[in-house]
Amino acid sequence: MDRPAIETRGLSHAYGSVVALHDVDLQIPPGRVGLVGANGAGKTTLIRILLGMLTPTRGTAEVFGLDTRAYELEVRARVGYMPEGNCLPPDQTAADFLIYAAALGGLPSRAARQRASDVLTLVGLEEERFRPLGGFSTGMKQRTKLAQAIVHDPELVFLDEPTAGLDPEGREEMLELISRLGSFGIDVLVSSHVLGDIERTCDWVVMLEGGRVLRSGPLASLVDVDTVEVDLIDDPEPLIAVLVAAGAAVERSGTRLLVTADGKDPFLLVRDALADTGTGIRSMGPRSTSLEDVFLAVEGSR
Amino acid sequence: MTARRGVVYDLGYVRYDGPRLGRRGAVTATVRDGMFRILGFHRKARYKILPFFLLALAVLPAVAFVGFSFLLSNFAPDAESPFGGHAEYFSLIGTTVLLFVALAAPELLIPDRRHGVLSVYSSRPLLPDDYVWARFGALLAVLSLFLLVPQFLMYIGFSALTGETLMAELIARAGELPKIVLTAAVYALAYAPPALLIAAYTKRKAVASGVYLAVMLVGMGLVAGVVQATVLPGHRFAALAALIEHPNYVRDWIYGRSATQELIVSQAGFAPWVSAVMIAAVAGISLLLVVRRYRRSM
Repeated sequence: MDRPAIETRGLSHAYGSVVALHDVDLQIPPGRVGLVGANGAGKTTLIRILLGMLTPTRGTAEVFGLDTRAYELEVRARVGYMPEGNCLPPDQTAADFLIYAAALGGLPSRAARQRASDVLTLVGLEEERFRPLGGFSTGMKQRTKLAQAIVHDPELVFLDEPTAGLDPEGREEMLELISRLGSFGIDVLVSSHVLGDIERTCDWVVMLEGGRVLRSGPLASLVDVDTVEVDLIDDPEPLIAVLVAAGAAVERSGTRLLVTADGKDPFLLVRDALADTGTGIRSMGPRSTSLEDVFLAVEGSR
Repeated sequence: MTARRGVVYDLGYVRYDGPRLGRRGAVTATVRDGMFRILGFHRKARYKILPFFLLALAVLPAVAFVGFSFLLSNFAPDAESPFGGHAEYFSLIGTTVLLFVALAAPELLIPDRRHGVLSVYSSRPLLPDDYVWARFGALLAVLSLFLLVPQFLMYIGFSALTGETLMAELIARAGELPKIVLTAAVYALAYAPPALLIAAYTKRKAVASGVYLAVMLVGMGLVAGVVQATVLPGHRFAALAALIEHPNYVRDWIYGRSATQELIVSQAGFAPWVSAVMIAAVAGISLLLVVRRYRRSM
């Protein structure tokens, strides 16, 4: 791994008697990182600690190698944040608010105006920039929130539930924007409880549950356990016997079989077994393990 | 004629590699936004009406006084100005300033909390203390328009009317300037921090304005009643709670005027320096409590 963008050691935080994070050790590389977990898993608490907004009860957190408690202003000068809740003043126009957000990020006036205009165009709000934010739809508000998070050109942006409350079309647009951030050279940490969103936008995943890290690693390594799904016309038993004898694991559901093989290509095993037994099939294809499968499997094994 | 042909370049996202002003830039932006917010700039016209109406109420009498004094000087060159001087003008606009502070302080603090904008400040190079001091600075800056601009207009206007040459008279009257600035600071310190304190702990702007005016105006009536009820032990100390009167008492002290017996603090037998200490103490405690509030929520 390159130098981690984010690193935590023994990070814990409690709100009174409620433990939000428990002994979290993480090394997260630059790139697009997904932070997944159910509501209350500790995602927002982790982000707030990384921003220096919360002081952890125990442990340390570093962003770009800077301790978030000792160097909170230096860290904040290099990051952006899109909160889950509302953060938009309804009586200001999108342009005025973005100019202010850029100036708060330390940009001089002229640069702030230029950046505000550019970023509003980027998120597709150039036509709406002189409208008060109070009249914006949920989708437009989410895009404005994303715009304020990147208007000062941060190196890393934290997005807390960016697709919350969006309709399917708005969600697509938001996911598209998040995917593009990586190509702009901005590292992204996206928090979401929608696993599909993380699968589509991220290349590294951190799974949190009950304030603990379930898994942290490249998305590919978590979801690369390929499974072959076969739907049979004939009796499945002879085929199952041959597959098991060849070292495959078979899960049967009626006439449907899910075949996996440790260290072997399950496609080749199924092909050979079908040829040996002469079993007729309706369909056959890959069934990739989704992030949801991994999440449920890891959670179930605890 | 050949048609003009253009080429569209998709510049995509352009990284910013110019200067970054850091914390200083964030504080400056917060002060400027605060000033714009309480004057209604960058917002609909209706937000500008009240602040500019009150500003006109504070400034226009000074313009009128200078104008009438000019007319009067044409008829009776040796006559004294019937409108009083700088000290009296502070009394004249006191209520206007108080009303403005009652409206401005909630406008500075409450919308940011109510609409979640604090989370934006929290992600920028700005500490909670910076935010509070920047908002206080914005209020002081706008208050200076109310408290200093009319005084400077009178200073220049009366100098132009009475002197041989304007410059000579401005220099001759220069001793007034420190008194004007000091008295303006006293009024600003007496009025602004308590309003910010109430706004910091109130959810609605109208409630914050109402509570502030009640504390400053209605509270004074209660204090007067307690002070005059001589049967109560230590009754005279209630006069110290007459927050609205302290700046008047200190103003008289600065201008070397004997305090009128209309002032409750004076009736209660306190020296003017006690009022100065009270203003400083209330301002200090109020601002510390505001900072404490924002350290918890940012």
